[in-house]
Amino acid sequence: MTCIRELIYSLVFLLSCLIFVSADVSTANRMTIDNDEDSSSDLYVIEGKVFPWENAASSGWQLMTHVMVNGGEHYGFLREDGTFVISNVPSGSYVVEVVNPNYAYEPVRVEINSKGKFRARKVNLVQTSQVIQVPYPLKMRPFTPFRYFQLREQWRVTDFLFNPMVLMMILPLILIMILPKIMNDPETRKDMEQLNNLTIYNMPEMSEVITSFFAGGEKPKTKAVKAAKKRQ
Amino acid sequence: MLTSCSHEITNGCAPTVLQLRSRVTFTLFTVMAPFLPSFRGNIKRFLTDVQLLQYLIVLFGLFNLSLCLYEDQVGKFDWRQNYVGRIKFASFDTVSTAKKIIVATEENVVAALNLKSGQILWRRVFERGYAGRIHALSGISDGDFVTVSGGVPALVRAWDLATGHILHEWPIADQNPDRLDSPFISFSTEGLYSIERIEDVKWHIKDGTLHHILPIYNSGIEVTSYDSKTGEKLNNRFISAPFISEDTDCILAAPYLACLRGDSLAVLFMINLFDTTADVPSPVLTTINTIFGAGAEGPYKLETVLGDEPVVSISTDNGQRKRIIIAGETPVPIERDIIGNTSLYVTSLDKEKILLETTYKNGMTEVAAFELHTSTPRPQLSVALTHSSVQAPTIVASICPRQSKGVTCRHLLSCEDHVIALLQHSKLVWAREEALAKIIAVEIIELPMSEGEQAIETEFDQKESIDVDGSWDVFSMFLRRICSQVNQARALLQTALGREPPQSNQRADLVRDRFGLHKMIVVVTAAGKLFGIETRKGEIIWQLTVPNIRGLTKDSDKMLLYVQRGSRHFPHSPQCALVAADKDTNEGIVYTFNPITGQPLEGLTRLGYKIKQSMLLHAPTEEFLRSIVILDARDRVHVYPECATAVAASVGKSTYLFTADQTAGVLSGFSLAYSTPQNLIAHKVWEVVMSTKNQRITQIVSKNPIERVHSQGRVLGDRSVLYKYINPNLVAVVTQGVGSTHKNTLNLYLLDVISGAMVFSLVHKRARGPVHVVHSENWLVYSYYNEKSRRTEIATLELYEGKTQSNTTVFSSLATTKLPIVERQAFIFPLSIESIRETITEKGITSKHIMVALANGGILELPWMLVDPRRPTNPEMREEGVIPYMPEIPIHMDAIVNYNQSVAKVSGIHTSPSGLESTCLVFVYGLDLFYTRVAPSKTFDVLKEDFDYYLIIIVLAALVISSYVTKKLASQKAQKQAWK
Repeated sequence: MTCIRELIYSLVFLLSCLIFVSADVSTANRMTIDNDEDSSSDLYVIEGKVFPWENAASSGWQLMTHVMVNGGEHYGFLREDGTFVISNVPSGSYVVEVVNPNYAYEPVRVEINSKGKFRARKVNLVQTSQVIQVPYPLKMRPFTPFRYFQLREQWRVTDFLFNPMVLMMILPLILIMILPKIMNDPETRKDMEQLNNLTIYNMPEMSEVITSFFAGGEKPKTKAVKAAKKRQ
Repeated sequence: MLTSCSHEITNGCAPTVLQLRSRVTFTLFTVMAPFLPSFRGNIKRFLTDVQLLQYLIVLFGLFNLSLCLYEDQVGKFDWRQNYVGRIKFASFDTVSTAKKIIVATEENVVAALNLKSGQILWRRVFERGYAGRIHALSGISDGDFVTVSGGVPALVRAWDLATGHILHEWPIADQNPDRLDSPFISFSTEGLYSIERIEDVKWHIKDGTLHHILPIYNSGIEVTSYDSKTGEKLNNRFISAPFISEDTDCILAAPYLACLRGDSLAVLFMINLFDTTADVPSPVLTTINTIFGAGAEGPYKLETVLGDEPVVSISTDNGQRKRIIIAGETPVPIERDIIGNTSLYVTSLDKEKILLETTYKNGMTEVAAFELHTSTPRPQLSVALTHSSVQAPTIVASICPRQSKGVTCRHLLSCEDHVIALLQHSKLVWAREEALAKIIAVEIIELPMSEGEQAIETEFDQKESIDVDGSWDVFSMFLRRICSQVNQARALLQTALGREPPQSNQRADLVRDRFGLHKMIVVVTAAGKLFGIETRKGEIIWQLTVPNIRGLTKDSDKMLLYVQRGSRHFPHSPQCALVAADKDTNEGIVYTFNPITGQPLEGLTRLGYKIKQSMLLHAPTEEFLRSIVILDARDRVHVYPECATAVAASVGKSTYLFTADQTAGVLSGFSLAYSTPQNLIAHKVWEVVMSTKNQRITQIVSKNPIERVHSQGRVLGDRSVLYKYINPNLVAVVTQGVGSTHKNTLNLYLLDVISGAMVFSLVHKRARGPVHVVHSENWLVYSYYNEKSRRTEIATLELYEGKTQSNTTVFSSLATTKLPIVERQAFIFPLSIESIRETITEKGITSKHIMVALANGGILELPWMLVDPRRPTNPEMREEGVIPYMPEIPIHMDAIVNYNQSVAKVSGIHTSPSGLESTCLVFVYGLDLFYTRVAPSKTFDVLKEDFDYYLIIIVLAALVISSYVTKKLASQKAQKQAWK
């Protein structure tokens, strides 16, 4: 894609050169001294407007902000209403960035062809040939405030409790403390016995599951199992 | 650019940080294991895929690696100072209620300073170099003012005085085709006239009209007038003045243009440029004899006298004396001699014009006031001042308003050492050290020990306590110990009683702290002024002016600062040396000073020869002083101080020098092997020619000589080790293409400067500068602009010896002939780069980060891992601790170490190790100064600042208490059981 465009550009340039030569030989001679980038010595002006972040419109944001072209080749400064001009720009391709220490703005690529036609598009550094046009004169809006700082972790009870380690400690504790209590209750015991009678075959399997679950675990767990067994 | 032959490389195979990280993950799992008995199988399954796990953890670590600050740490370790630079134009704001001073400076800055305090109210920074150079600053009217800046065509910008907003901007885009035919104006890419002629163009802004005055040789003067607000062209006049040629010296004393022509019988022409009554304004001639009388000798020098009246001054007799001429329809010479080095200014008091003559002698500044026409002295307006920070000042702006209690004159002074000062009533109101806006060289030096520690050091001073025959002089040692302990006890008592300890010559807080974080930054500025800045708050501790020095080469300000002796060699004081050139003779000078106190040691030494190359010798003398080896323009070698010649000769066999000639494109290497103890001889051993036909050397980057490489290799996925190619003598040479066909090529050569062997070279086509290079360990990171894709790219090279190491202890350039394996990769960098530097730590264990100063004012801390050339493009080929390749480097805002404290026009970054292995000190300089510290692998050697001491105390206490309680409960239970 770029190749084709460049080819077209160079063709246009060649054509214009030819016309030029036929018109005035002496000027054409002078043109040859010049290099091909500045084929037209016409200079253009990039215009646009920078908008502040909604809540930060006051406090001299225009002073903290400036517009930078191609990493500092040209600068544009903001008027009070946020509009800016960048003068003395020859035809070519330029990346226009808004520099503000607190808010992020998306950069825009502005292309000025040798005839002075402007085109603004999104900057895509990876796929350079992809064109997503944006309106010209530029309208630069902040998309997010910069986050330079990390938030300090604060100690909260919920954080502590939902920590997997703590959960892992608390769950067995509950099993140890509460299960025997439930077993002690006479009504539940009856129910359990009834259940046992009904599902007599399931019981050993359950205990097996439990033992395998706590195999190699801490003492209290085995104790709990023992206690349960004793009561049975 | 210094080289020394053999560098010891620490031996041994310590784990890299990545290995450390993987070890941490295992310990984590061993801790977790008892809690997860039933998941043991699961863990085993996990462990079988350790690779994936580590991979994940590295990724996790990377995202968690936000090196960032917490919001409450703002300003805790960092500071920023803003500057404006040396004054070019200034004017007082007399209109608005909040009084200020508007300055335009040589650093392309327009700023408003507070009249009372000198603080910057607002500041606007223009483009770098010619594109932003300020040519004119108008006076203030209706709350706004106008600046003219830039190359050709110039830009006119109108500014709001109170807020600093821009009001209008327009270019002088008038291109007169006739001018192209003038033989003296070349049509270059810069525009309508060449760079040399920009200085000839004069600007005058008055009453809302901007006059562009262009003298054309042998023809006349073209005056074009514009409306300064709208840019509308008002008129264009041509004034015939055929006497103007290349030899005439023309200055503007608006509305007159004064030109001096001829040497022995000089004639002064004056033309009224804006006189519209006469059709053809004719120049008024004044011969030099009517000004000075007979007997004056050339060369004469013409200068404008700043101020409210068109007055010029002519100096004669080699600048010994001068006289002033008041321009008018008939120029009025004042027949009074003024001393040559006096600076003049014309101010107005009511309707009277007052000439202020400023002289500086022996530290005293005198401003003498005279009535301009009659030369009557006005003693009530004359002032005298003695202040250390005002040296050789000139008045750049002055006002004398009449107030109720009399006249108070305010003079804005711009000193030779770039200080800006405000003088009022022979009192200095404020002074700004603007020399710091242009720093050339930086060193960060450790502070000395406190006096108490010094006493201990003397107590155990080995040299004196060991007798010649080896027996210990016990008695004297005992005495010394008692003495020092008595002293310590006394100091303790004094502090306990609240009495101040006796005043010492050094400040009590300027001592080494426990972690070596408090240091002294020594800076050399373009003005030839040296500063000592402490790192904690950025306070200037000392300043020194070295008179009459300049940079070593013609086109750059480059001066070199060497640390000859650090502060670790008590009782020897630390010593720094500045190597520069003399302003008049261009011959080398060496200036030695104490970097902690700012005391000159041996002062200025004129060498009497031109310096071509210099380096710090790695071998110290008996007094731990490292001498400087200097190669002069005729390839002779000198040592400073001269008494160290024997030491230099003794290591001559392993000492090499190399030089690079940019104009000829020749790199050559010299050996000192043929030196005798009396005489050092440099013998050329190699030469590399880089044809200047199609390339030009732009940069030569060597490694930081204090750098240490900790790990010798890199562990690969299959557990084998790839050994790094660590050649301390490797230098990167960057050349950029010149000429029409090679214009956009960029060449990079890796050259061994001991043997002259070309280790590696590569070419980038359709790439151009700005190129920034970082060269460290076994890698090289550089940035350039890719013209084809129109983006900034960062490329990295990494050099490896292979799976075997040629020599495990010492690398020798002469013995190693095998070329290294080069890994390389390029990445897209989404922002523009101003300067780049790697972090450095004491032992090199901590991973390296790259500090990148961005054009938008941020300073980015970029982990080297992100530009690792071994980042695999194929996701199947993953390696331990390497993230897969992505073309674009992501920029995380929390890696911007200076948060919203933007720094403008960064010219360099200096990094220095601290006493902590994890921490690196970073000093960024340019128009602003910024200092901070970074911890690339996080602070692994100290507890985090927010470490929760309370939590750990509570947990421990709870554990102890609960164990006792449970013990008790258990025994009770056992008792109960026993009773059952």
